[in-house]
Amino acid sequence: MVGNSNRNDETKAEEVGRKTWRPHLAEEKDYEALRELFKHHIDSFDHMVEHGIERMLLSIKPVEVFDSFSNLKLRIWFENPEIYPPQKERFSRTMADALYPFECRQAKLTYAGRFMIDVKFQYDDGVSVREKINFGQFPVMLKSKLCHLRAANDPKKLVRHKEEPSEMGGYFIMNGLERVIRLLILPKRNYPMSMVRNSFRERREGYSDKAVVIRCVREDQSAVTVKLYYLNNGSARLGFWIQGREYLLPVGIIMKALIDTTDHEIYVSLTCCYNEKYDRVKGSVGTQLVGERAKIILDELQNMSLYTRAQCLQHIGEHFQPLMAGLEKESYSVVADAVLRDYIFVHLDDNIDKFNLLIFMLQKLFSLVDQTSVPDNPDSLQNQEVLLPGHLITIYLKEKLQDWLLKAKRTLQDEVDNRTKKFELSSLADVKKVIEKNTPRQIGAAIENLLKTGRLVTQSGLDLQQRAGMTVQAERLNFLRFLSHFRAVHRGASFAGLRTTSVRKLLPESWGFLCPVHTPDGEPCGLLNNMTSSCRITSYYDSKGKVKDFLEVRKSILKVLVSIGMTPSLPKLVQAGPPEVLPVLLDGRVVGSIASDIIEKAVCHLRRLKVAATFAIPEDLEVGYIPLSMGGAYPGLHLFTSASRFVRPVRNILIPPEEGNNIELIGPFEQVYMEISCPDGGDGGRKNVFPATHEEIHPTGILSVVGNLTPWSDHNQSPRNMYQCQMGKQTMGFSCQALVARADQKLYHLQTPQTPIVRTKTYEKYNIDDYPLGTNAIVAVLAYSGYDMEDAMVLNKSSVDRGMCRGYIYQTETIDLTEQNLRSDRSQRSFGRSNLDRSTHHLIDSDGLPYVGQRISPNEPYCSIYNEITSKVTTNKLKGSEPVYVDYVAVDVKNKKHIQKANIRLRHPRNPIIGDKFSSRHGQKGVCSQLWPDTDMPFSGVTGMRPDLIINPHAFPSRMTIAMLLESIAAKGGALHGNFVDATPFSSSMKKNSVGSESESSSLVDELGSMLIARGFNYHGVEVLYSGVYGTELTCEIFIGPVYYQRLRHMVSDKFQVRSTGTVDQVTRQPIKGRKRGGGVRFGEMERDSLLAHGAAYLLHDRLHTSSDHHIADVCSLCGSILTTSLIQSQKKAVRDMIGRDLPPGRAPKKVTCVACQTSTGMETVAMPYVFRYLAAELAAMNIKMALQLSSGPGA
Amino acid sequence: MEGVSYQRFPKIKIRTVRDDFMKFELRDTDASIANALRRVMIAEVPTIAIDLVEIEVNSSVLNDEFIAHRLGLIPLTSERAMSMRFSRDCDACDGDGQCEYCSVEFHLRAKCINDQTLDVTSKDLYSSDHTVVPVDFSDSSTGFDNTENRGIIIVKLRRGQELVLRAIARKGIGKDHAKWSPAATVTFMYEPEIYINEEMMEGLTLEEKKEFVDSSPTKVFDINPNTHQVYVHDAEAYTYDDEVLKKAEAMGKPGLVEIHAKEDSFIFTVETTGGIKASQLFLNAIDVLKQKLDAVRLSSDTVEADEQFGELGAHMRGG
Repeated sequence: MVGNSNRNDETKAEEVGRKTWRPHLAEEKDYEALRELFKHHIDSFDHMVEHGIERMLLSIKPVEVFDSFSNLKLRIWFENPEIYPPQKERFSRTMADALYPFECRQAKLTYAGRFMIDVKFQYDDGVSVREKINFGQFPVMLKSKLCHLRAANDPKKLVRHKEEPSEMGGYFIMNGLERVIRLLILPKRNYPMSMVRNSFRERREGYSDKAVVIRCVREDQSAVTVKLYYLNNGSARLGFWIQGREYLLPVGIIMKALIDTTDHEIYVSLTCCYNEKYDRVKGSVGTQLVGERAKIILDELQNMSLYTRAQCLQHIGEHFQPLMAGLEKESYSVVADAVLRDYIFVHLDDNIDKFNLLIFMLQKLFSLVDQTSVPDNPDSLQNQEVLLPGHLITIYLKEKLQDWLLKAKRTLQDEVDNRTKKFELSSLADVKKVIEKNTPRQIGAAIENLLKTGRLVTQSGLDLQQRAGMTVQAERLNFLRFLSHFRAVHRGASFAGLRTTSVRKLLPESWGFLCPVHTPDGEPCGLLNNMTSSCRITSYYDSKGKVKDFLEVRKSILKVLVSIGMTPSLPKLVQAGPPEVLPVLLDGRVVGSIASDIIEKAVCHLRRLKVAATFAIPEDLEVGYIPLSMGGAYPGLHLFTSASRFVRPVRNILIPPEEGNNIELIGPFEQVYMEISCPDGGDGGRKNVFPATHEEIHPTGILSVVGNLTPWSDHNQSPRNMYQCQMGKQTMGFSCQALVARADQKLYHLQTPQTPIVRTKTYEKYNIDDYPLGTNAIVAVLAYSGYDMEDAMVLNKSSVDRGMCRGYIYQTETIDLTEQNLRSDRSQRSFGRSNLDRSTHHLIDSDGLPYVGQRISPNEPYCSIYNEITSKVTTNKLKGSEPVYVDYVAVDVKNKKHIQKANIRLRHPRNPIIGDKFSSRHGQKGVCSQLWPDTDMPFSGVTGMRPDLIINPHAFPSRMTIAMLLESIAAKGGALHGNFVDATPFSSSMKKNSVGSESESSSLVDELGSMLIARGFNYHGVEVLYSGVYGTELTCEIFIGPVYYQRLRHMVSDKFQVRSTGTVDQVTRQPIKGRKRGGGVRFGEMERDSLLAHGAAYLLHDRLHTSSDHHIADVCSLCGSILTTSLIQSQKKAVRDMIGRDLPPGRAPKKVTCVACQTSTGMETVAMPYVFRYLAAELAAMNIKMALQLSSGPGA
Repeated sequence: MEGVSYQRFPKIKIRTVRDDFMKFELRDTDASIANALRRVMIAEVPTIAIDLVEIEVNSSVLNDEFIAHRLGLIPLTSERAMSMRFSRDCDACDGDGQCEYCSVEFHLRAKCINDQTLDVTSKDLYSSDHTVVPVDFSDSSTGFDNTENRGIIIVKLRRGQELVLRAIARKGIGKDHAKWSPAATVTFMYEPEIYINEEMMEGLTLEEKKEFVDSSPTKVFDINPNTHQVYVHDAEAYTYDDEVLKKAEAMGKPGLVEIHAKEDSFIFTVETTGGIKASQLFLNAIDVLKQKLDAVRLSSDTVEADEQFGELGAHMRGG
């Protein structure tokens, strides 16, 4: 904070002054905080490369090819995947050079490395043979462990590789475009969620709307969702998906099939949660009905006469054998085992665990039905996690590899069975040949395709709700937009079409994880959210960068739990249920139960261990303790260690700060039941009944990075902050520093950006000053000249002359002749200019490419191409309506003889003109309505200062953007004192909290006002101004001061549309649409209505007829047809052509006859829209004749 | 036009004059004249600025337009400007703007050959006319360190980068482009007249007096430490912000002080870019203003006057 008066301690002021002095030129740039924002992308990719794929390959079932003739069996499976760092295509083959990302961007290549897998072959039980097979090119994420930039964290090194000094990575380069995998919200893994949905009723007859759903995720990230439906008769059905179809089984069968158990055991396990003693007591979930339901479930089994485990397995095996590929010849029990293993609770390996989980789910389901607990909200962040890039690629790759292996098996089997061909299964060479034919490279191509288009081509759906829109382009319009792509989480495309708005709601559960401000308005509102600046996503790496050993972690957690007093579930004994004891689940496994009177202590202990991090307990462990309640959420202790959960840091105030680290990472699941106080200058909204155990580190932690950049956003009306989040991302700023090495299709760039005087701490934290996006403009708030009405703003022409808000658009044209050559005839083309035609020589050099720095006007050529076969020279002409400059020309020198590929970067200067859009950082956008002469602007008598910009005072009362007023005052004071002013929101609440109750020291306005007073300015930031036109004092004092203004990318030069005459539609002869093609603005039916209402008949006729498709048709008055008339060719054809067809006949009457009536008598001319003739023709095509009846008007 | 003459004889009293700064009083005239002078000084006194740049080599980090724009904004010494011709009116060169009467040629040639960043500054611009050169601030007495002052930085070059260009400077006025504006700041204020109601003032305690004096953010009033009398310390420091009047009212003493703006006297502050001396700027402004008025008077009864001056012409004719 700026010192609240000039009474500040001298040395302290100096220190503060030095610290804030040019913060954008920090000596040692530390991009750690910035990189942290991108970490989840890179971490997940790294894990996939290092371990994920390997683990996934283990879970792909080996295939077996059996030669019935020779009785030879061949087993094939994958092992040992390897992805190589990207390398250049080489012709010499001796040494391959590293391929760097900037080369990919410029040459429109894909940043990918070779993907090799060892395919293992084993004959019968012999020795396995390894064969390395190339599976194509695997796209490599920038800054991942495979990326060449990984080692270069030093800005200088990055700059040497033509990257941004702060390059964060996290995206892929596909054909030169930067694409990010979108983070998607998924249901929380391994957590049984109770749900009520009407659609469940429609499953089948007798189904209720209640179910418990669990999304089980395997080690290799592939997921299977299992639903446990409640039937109206009291029983339950387990539903799971196999190959895109849902299969429903009575739970009893599953329970019995899982383990050897007795009816009694099942009954006792189910009813343990009910105890008469606790009926209707707080926290009791069971009711009497549970017992009855257990009986019904068991009776069902009786009715199906399934009594033993073997019978149940037999039953399952019988029904599922046709579905299980590769098990056609196995026994039923093997098939049933496979079903249980592969489709039911796949996150658990042990059948006992599965059984326990099923019991737990049944109890939860029954409690839901009995309304002793409420359903979980699937739209709440509490029950959600994210899909990370690495995980998506892993599961997609798994399916692709599985398919490939199966296909390989099928082709091999075909070859084996087809005796006519010469094929020996025993010959590995033959097998390899067949396998190679199976195009292993398509695997890499499939991944590339996923990243390029964002579409999943899959049969099973991968347990995901959507198949398209998985990736988006990471636009570098400006830094904020780029950054937001990596922080955005999407709810899923399937929700976008939903008519209900409940999914879009901002729920309190997302506090601190998703930014309440940073979401777009309109269509994707509430579906596309942004993570807060403090939010992180758990990964497979711990904070030291080591891979977590989940087995070890779980073991140690269990040990701790048992030591606290948990009764483990393993030596199976009948356990009680809530409220006496609470079930403990670790990553979706029922590990035991814990008495409810010690659980609070246990949770507290776990949290301590978690923070201490010395133990094997991970710091991001989620301790989801759902306490006992009257009909609240189903109680239990859910522990999660898995990856891809949201976490955020809060301060654990139970741990004294002397103990060192007291920052705890919490997740949305546990947050709901935690007591976290948020500093608000008061008591943090806490009552003594629920003392706070945790504390927010800073209230700005609930805002996203972009939301955090709005100064004093706590003083604004909230929608204005939302608008700023949107507009901040459309600002023309300093888009990138490595501009020379970039070949983006369009890049916006501000010539002379400034860093804001009034800034939040976030600017320094994330080095936003590396990419500034605005100008500190002197803004006067007054109604002057009338050109500032309705959010228009008047710019000072002299300020614009001096370079304020000047910008460029860089546009790159990539010309690839090889592509053109392929498309047309196989003619050889190259760049080159014609020696005969010298008219273009001032624009194009002898190599056919333009001179760098050359100015090119519209319709002038910017490059010329020589066709070597036809020896013709064609030129590419500049489109658009403004002159451009050639900024840069890059050629691909792979083909040294003839250059085939060239990037020509053009520079469009864009100085502010009338119609360009500007905005302050407070959602106050406006359009420049005039460039007003400097002399006519109001001026200050004291300083002689004229404003750069005038806005209307009406912009404030209804919008209540007080922070903008504060910014103006603060920036004025800051400018006068030569300081930056800190405008971090909610800082007042933090201050009072730490200082204690040091009286009402001074309000923010006092602080800012005294800064102005100290320099002889008005406390309120107003000044006496004089009219620039008359030289007289303006009647009011004018509020004037510097405000950081952003220039938005919407510019008239890209939008204006004007047309007098021009191209018309071929069929209707009406003016065409489209700005690019020189079309007109549609004069639609509503516009027509208004003219009709005004009775402006002439204007109406002019617009809709004369200026549109006016046409004079010859009509035969005998038959009434306009189609059968035809001109008789006379000798005077030339003359008539000169007159033109559409003109009425001149002196010499045209000879027109009716072909149908065979006469030229009775021919008349009628003015009509041309579409009418078209209509007649269309009708004629349908065998409908249209006849006109001509009344004998004055013209007839 | 007949009848009473409103002619007045404005007086000027110069208070401070430096090369690039001047403060003077203008009396016995009204706001229209004062403002006209201000406007002419800002926008219509001609200067010379680089207007056309031919870039031969530019391998610097800034693009050609950027450099051209920066060159244009460099103030050039423009004593000659008044006598020069606008290149659009120049008959010696037929309007192509490259003759000695209407233009000055500059050359810039810079290349960085070592590892130290080379600052290309306005001092690297070589003029064909020694009277028209980039403004040199080093001799100003404002305390710039002469050794460090290398002129206005145009661009910085690193090893191997080069900038070669030819630039044509022309005469122009600030109305066309701000680069031709000779004035950094021209402003005037009405001279305030401050009356202290001594009787009422005596009724205040010293505390109240202090409070009153401190209420103005600028030091207009002061208290005599001996007599404890409030006196006007610096009337011109008053910014017409009415703070003291509001204070007086809040103290329950409306009319404690009365402040009026003298309608006919102005205090001007002129600060130039260095292209012209401040005093010269003022003289030139009067010349320009005169020329403009002459043009109106000379053509007051011609037909062209209507086209050229429109309503103003009609007004001059008494219409």
